[in-house]
Amino acid sequence: MMIENVWLVPLLPLAASLVILFGGREREDSPMPFVGIAAMAASLYISLAVIFDAATGAAALPFEKEWLWYSFAANLGGQPSIFEMRAGVLIDGAAAVMLGVVCLVSLLVQIYSLGYMHGDRKFKRYFAYISFFTASMLGLVVSNNLIVVFACWELVGVSSYLLIGFWFEKEAPPYAAKKAFITTKLGDLGFFLALLLIFTYAGSYNLVRLKETVEMGYLPPMVLTLIGLGLLCGAAGKSAQAPLFIWLPDAMEGPTPVSALIHAATMVAAGIYLVARCYFFFLASPIAMETVAWAGLITAFLAGSMALVPYDIKRVLAFSTVSQLGFMMCALGVGGYTAGLFHLTTHAFFKALLFLGAGSVIHAVHTNDMRSMGGLSKRMPWTFLTMTVGCLALAGIPPFAGFFSKDQILEKVFEHSPVMFAVLVFTACLTAFYTFRMLFLTFWGDGRDHHRVDHAEESGAVMTVPLMILAALSLVSGWALEHGHAFASFVGSGGAAGHAAEAAGHAAAAGHAINPMVLAAGVTAGACFFIALAYSLYAGRDFSRAQRLKSLFQPVFDLLEKRYGFDAFFLGLVDLADRIAVLCRWVDIEVIDKVFVDGWGLLCRVAAEISHLFDALFVDQAVDGCGYVSRDIAGRGLRSLIARGQVQEYMLYLAVGVSLFAILK
Amino acid sequence: MTLAHYIALGAVLFVIGIFGALTRRSVIGILMSIELMFNAANINLAAFNRYLHPEGVAGQAFALFIMTVAAAEVVVGLALVLAIYRNWDKTYMENINLLKG
Amino acid sequence: MEFPLLSLITFIPLAGALAVLCLPKDSRRAIEAAALAASAVSFALSVWLYFAFDRSTAAMQFVERHAWIAADAVKVDYYLGVDGLSAPLVILTTLMSLIALIASLGIKERFKEYCFWFLILEVGMLGVFESLDFFLFYVFWEITLVPMYFLIGIWGGPQKEYAAIKFFLYTLAGSVFMLLGILALYFKADPHTFDMLALMKIHGTLSFRFQVLAFLAFYFGFAIKVPAFPFHTWLPLAHVEAPTAISVILAAVLLKMGVYGILRVNYCMLPLGFEWFLPILVLIAVINIVYGALCAMAQNDMKKMVAYSSINHMGYCLLAIAGVSATGFSGAAFQMINHGIITGALFLLVGVVYDRAHTRDIGAFGGLAAKVPVFAGLMSLSCFASLGLPGMAGFISEFLCFLGAFPRWKIYTAVSVLGVIITAAFFLRMIEKVFLGPLNKRWADLPDMNTRELVSVVPLAILMVALGIWPKWALDMMNTTMVSLAGLFK
Repeated sequence: MMIENVWLVPLLPLAASLVILFGGREREDSPMPFVGIAAMAASLYISLAVIFDAATGAAALPFEKEWLWYSFAANLGGQPSIFEMRAGVLIDGAAAVMLGVVCLVSLLVQIYSLGYMHGDRKFKRYFAYISFFTASMLGLVVSNNLIVVFACWELVGVSSYLLIGFWFEKEAPPYAAKKAFITTKLGDLGFFLALLLIFTYAGSYNLVRLKETVEMGYLPPMVLTLIGLGLLCGAAGKSAQAPLFIWLPDAMEGPTPVSALIHAATMVAAGIYLVARCYFFFLASPIAMETVAWAGLITAFLAGSMALVPYDIKRVLAFSTVSQLGFMMCALGVGGYTAGLFHLTTHAFFKALLFLGAGSVIHAVHTNDMRSMGGLSKRMPWTFLTMTVGCLALAGIPPFAGFFSKDQILEKVFEHSPVMFAVLVFTACLTAFYTFRMLFLTFWGDGRDHHRVDHAEESGAVMTVPLMILAALSLVSGWALEHGHAFASFVGSGGAAGHAAEAAGHAAAAGHAINPMVLAAGVTAGACFFIALAYSLYAGRDFSRAQRLKSLFQPVFDLLEKRYGFDAFFLGLVDLADRIAVLCRWVDIEVIDKVFVDGWGLLCRVAAEISHLFDALFVDQAVDGCGYVSRDIAGRGLRSLIARGQVQEYMLYLAVGVSLFAILK
Repeated sequence: MTLAHYIALGAVLFVIGIFGALTRRSVIGILMSIELMFNAANINLAAFNRYLHPEGVAGQAFALFIMTVAAAEVVVGLALVLAIYRNWDKTYMENINLLKG
Repeated sequence: MEFPLLSLITFIPLAGALAVLCLPKDSRRAIEAAALAASAVSFALSVWLYFAFDRSTAAMQFVERHAWIAADAVKVDYYLGVDGLSAPLVILTTLMSLIALIASLGIKERFKEYCFWFLILEVGMLGVFESLDFFLFYVFWEITLVPMYFLIGIWGGPQKEYAAIKFFLYTLAGSVFMLLGILALYFKADPHTFDMLALMKIHGTLSFRFQVLAFLAFYFGFAIKVPAFPFHTWLPLAHVEAPTAISVILAAVLLKMGVYGILRVNYCMLPLGFEWFLPILVLIAVINIVYGALCAMAQNDMKKMVAYSSINHMGYCLLAIAGVSATGFSGAAFQMINHGIITGALFLLVGVVYDRAHTRDIGAFGGLAAKVPVFAGLMSLSCFASLGLPGMAGFISEFLCFLGAFPRWKIYTAVSVLGVIITAAFFLRMIEKVFLGPLNKRWADLPDMNTRELVSVVPLAILMVALGIWPKWALDMMNTTMVSLAGLFK
């Protein structure tokens, strides 16, 4: 039974990463990457076997297996005792799907990287990091213990730090890496506090037990809300939700395959997955649910609008990821558990595809700037073709994958609130616009920078084959998974928290639903209209019309280019922290040390001086005075009288003295 | 003869010794007077021994010790006198006031 | 008679010190061998202690008790023993002493005296954790002071005399108050006794007023060692001026004496005073955490930054103690061990770069990762461990600290979680400025770490990962004791 071995899934890439890191020498043609690829393939095999077993009913979900990790002294129920922290695996439908997605995307990215990173000075190290990154993400997916989830969560952060800053010899990547780490860490504070609350009130970190505890209603609603908000905070950091999305565009400084991995399968998916995994907390707190929905909505809209203006191909994709994550978050917030996870799955395929395609383009023309591209369709047909599939999927055109999942989300949101629905539909249209703006700018028309474009060549098979596989998945995964509600029933198997609630929600909202056909047709029409708009603006030789539009709405463009000032806000925050830090240092040195500590020293010195003066003036003078009296006054007179040096006189005194004693007796 | 006779003799000798020691100008004379005082003490010791503890010999033994010490003392004293005489060429006490403070 | 394991652990370094003293000054090899052998044997015995330690009891183990001063008026025992709180600290002490001694093999001048003082210091530190008699405790406590004074004052940096005298006077001022506290407890006990275990049982007879006063006296002595705000300013100075190995010992062991004292004495003997002081203690802990981290963020000197991060980390211990729960005590005890290992490694690494570059200014470097990959890797690893990255030792203990304090002090704990992100910020900034970015041409021919440095740092690096993945090794030793500690006044 494969599911028994599911714990191997994260451990294999971990072992591989250690082997790669410490084994062998750094060479351009190091064979080490194949260790990582082999481990990944094995993990993928296990994951697929698990999915297959679960789908055929051979393995019952949820599957849980745990081992003792460590024990510590804790006060549970007011009585100090030894608490056993157990860690293990918990596989439900969502986890199984995520395992498959992560392993698959990571495997393809690694194969692709063989070509993309070829000849890099740190070729071997790159693969070690990638394996470690995937291992952390897989650990996060399978773990049944929230502490382990948090640990893997942070490790995902660290490996993204290492990978974003992979080319650390340059100026920008280290900065971007640090920004990513600190920003996500800021969100993690919320997660951390939620963890503290959970243990304090529920006394366990086991997800299954927590679910029982929450569903029994043992936790006060206020606490549940706080836990939900804390978890959301963590998810917002990792999944780049407003206002913590500032790190994601900068994260483009890393190698492009890494961006693909971050945006598709690991890292940003972690936040959504966390919310899904801890869905029972949110279900128990309407406020937290509503916050999740609004956070997702705002993010989707802001990021979607920001994606309209950049000329950096990866930035467009980055903002689009943020926006799509907003969609998923919003879906989860309105109770669309399966819709959110469905979109997460399909999005993983087409976003990985788009990033790897963009990487292929960048690899060929050595720039990220779309203004220097154009006309690449002839020079890179496979890349062009696969990226077109990806764009169609992202824009939500049937029958591509994005259409199905986005449609589900919109349906769910409409049931919840028409206002949110309107905003999301508009954002979906924007998605179509910026996606095709990117596609047209890159591939359409004639090359604008002949120097670059004319030397562009199609990438090798090691890069294009992963693209094709992903394109095929982007094409069929939506339809295949939607068919007969396969995905929904799979994810819902084993009584996942969200699914039951969803069923209840369906019943309640029956009278309030939108006709799916109308919705699909309407949204597709809107998307097509915006694609046409993009064509008219950007498909030509130059984009003078776009420029004119820009000068017309200059302030709006400025606002978008400044990313609504979020960056400035956070940089201001950092600046403020720095100022406080400098102030603290000043206080420490000048006040506490100089005044408080050295002040005591000074006080002691003053006291010492005073007592020294007293000593010299009074005590010592008194002693000297005694000496003076005895030596100079009494001494000299007596001496001259009796001590004349005559021994016989002395003897006389002696004799008289003795006689006196004898007489006086 | 009773104990009192011997003690009286001793006392007379001692007083003569003291007088001599205090009044003689010559160092030699002073040394001789000191010998007188020693002998006064010796007489006392022997007398006490004879009359108070006739069974013991402690007093007589002490007298013998004192004679020895006296001899040694005179040797040292005469050596000092010689040294003083050689260095300063004087033996009269009033001329020597080395101890003056 | 049982095998006197603790006495051997404690006094073998003393024998080593005397042996070093007898060796001629010029035979450096022999001095090195003697000092290392003494330290290594002591460490080996403490490893034995680790395996022989009975994890199922909270009672004192390996007890040795002999009458020492047996006058009518005063009765002092030579009384040693360890429980789950002190045994890990003993092991930490012998380990860090050995490591620091290896790291100080590079010392050039007056090596013989250095070894002598160093081994004496080790005796004092071990004795503090092992003694169960207050008189003995005080003697060992003071023994640590003198070698430290000379070690900083002779082998230190430019401002060494000032730093040494400040350290000495400050700590001495604290220990004077501690002595007052010891005497007060001695005279309150009936019959008068210095026996610490007996003194733990008399708190029922002590009035509130007495407990508060005695608490303050002890607290003053221990807080300076911890160091708790506002008694912390000697620490950055002493750390910066002390030679590398001594900074390691200072951070890894000496600071722990303060926390250990607060747990062993203030909490166990003076519960009413402790309860009274709690609101202030938690405030001090939060200040230590946030303020210490902010101060560290503003530093340009690497060593000073690490020193202030120690203040921040000790704040976690204080916060955990203020939580008065089994979890908190476990967290504090574990955090002490982890901080010793991690900060020890950080100081060693800062020493490595200072030995080569003769500067510790963060801004003076840049891009070193390409030049010295092993050093960069180890330094980053230690930094990540220090900022509490999961998978490394610091995470579990920090987490337990917060978890222990949270039920009682929700707002304070929430505020101090801020310290975590500030810590992350300054460590990452340091890594960025020193190791990443374009290589600063000044350091184009910087050599990587040599064998001696690797031998001293790598064991610590392995330990910090091992304890992070498998904290059971350390926590199992403590659990029973912590449960009984927390249940002391229920």
